Amino acid sequence: MVDCPRGQDMPVLRQSFELGLVLCRTCGLAVSRASLGVDRRCPRCQGRIEQRTPFSTEMTLAWLIAGIVFYVPANLLPVMHTRGLLGEADSTILGGILEFWRSGDWDIALLIFIASVAVPFTKFIAIGLLLITVRKNSRWEQHQRTALYRIVEFIGYWSMLDVIVVALTAALMQFQALGAAEPRPGIAFFCAVVVVTMLSALSFDARLIWDRPA
Amino acid sequence: MSTILICRDCDTVYRAIPLRRGDVALCRRCDAVLARYFGANVDSGLALVCAAAIFFAIANLTPILGIDIGGMQTRANIWFAVRSLQQGWISIAALGLAITTFFIPAAQIALLFWVLLFARVGHRPPGFGPIMRLLHRMRPWSMTEVFLLGALVAIVKLANWVPVTAGAGIWAIAALTTVLALLGRCDPESWWSIAPAVKTCRS
Repeated sequence: MVDCPRGQDMPVLRQSFELGLVLCRTCGLAVSRASLGVDRRCPRCQGRIEQRTPFSTEMTLAWLIAGIVFYVPANLLPVMHTRGLLGEADSTILGGILEFWRSGDWDIALLIFIASVAVPFTKFIAIGLLLITVRKNSRWEQHQRTALYRIVEFIGYWSMLDVIVVALTAALMQFQALGAAEPRPGIAFFCAVVVVTMLSALSFDARLIWDRPA
Repeated sequence: MSTILICRDCDTVYRAIPLRRGDVALCRRCDAVLARYFGANVDSGLALVCAAAIFFAIANLTPILGIDIGGMQTRANIWFAVRSLQQGWISIAALGLAITTFFIPAAQIALLFWVLLFARVGHRPPGFGPIMRLLHRMRPWSMTEVFLLGALVAIVKLANWVPVTAGAGIWAIAALTTVLALLGRCDPESWWSIAPAVKTCRS
């Protein structure tokens, strides 16, 4: 473990700039700020080093807004078109979840609901909350907010689940008269939501939560 | 300088101490993982990368899912899934799926193989810095495990209507997920620890 085992007095915790250091986000190396050249390249990986991600909150907000915009058609437009002996039908994400629920597969319904509806929605709320509190230089629940950021970062890509399910279903259901499935525009918007909200989370620099106004 | 750790999430500075197997160093302020014991050496890394390459090949050459009804049959794997989304402008989703479940895992395996192969013979590979930076950039976009879960959901979904079977590919995807996780999810941050040895050999 690090330096001081639990149980001992809490050591003074210092941020990197207080000690003249800076972290290379790309390779994790601690670099002395004095040794950085004009181009601010990491001596180990040659990646660009920044004290804080430039335009972090602006980029996060921009991608977040794009995500919310795409979320609407992703849920309103059909994601799949099915054709079979029982007729033709367009299904939306929520429609698909309801179908699972009605047919008794509540566990799959819950899984898709969490991955496709709840996760993106939670991400909007969570990133919005992080942006507002960082903007206000809030010192409220810094520890919890950092944990929230890590959750957002971790759950992000699981929303791709529905895109994969629709793609596999469309690939397999190719029996002319018996049944066929085709993707519909909703799925492209849904894919866009996943990519854009991931970019939003990746643009956010969690260290801003801990920074205080000078 | 190598004994200093800085927390990615709250910028707190620590002096590193040696970690034993199973140890994880956490940030006192925000609980972020500062460092993990990293037992893999170049040889075991290379072995894992080779295993990943084999599983990746199997996953893409054999069917992951299949349906048989009355003499008719369909098969699907990653590429069939991508192709089924190629329809007008919905192809954007096909591109997204192809990048996250095919090209990025393939590139991760190929680039790590390149780096570790050179490290094995004690050389710094051509393009080491850019490759490691690329690996770092690609890491959040590798979605093999999501594809595995998607395939399992698709089985349950389709099993209500048609007899759907899992092919050899699904086991390969499961194995690939495990191996990629063992490779530190291709996290170059852990692999930088092999860099000092590599560097000295070059000069």
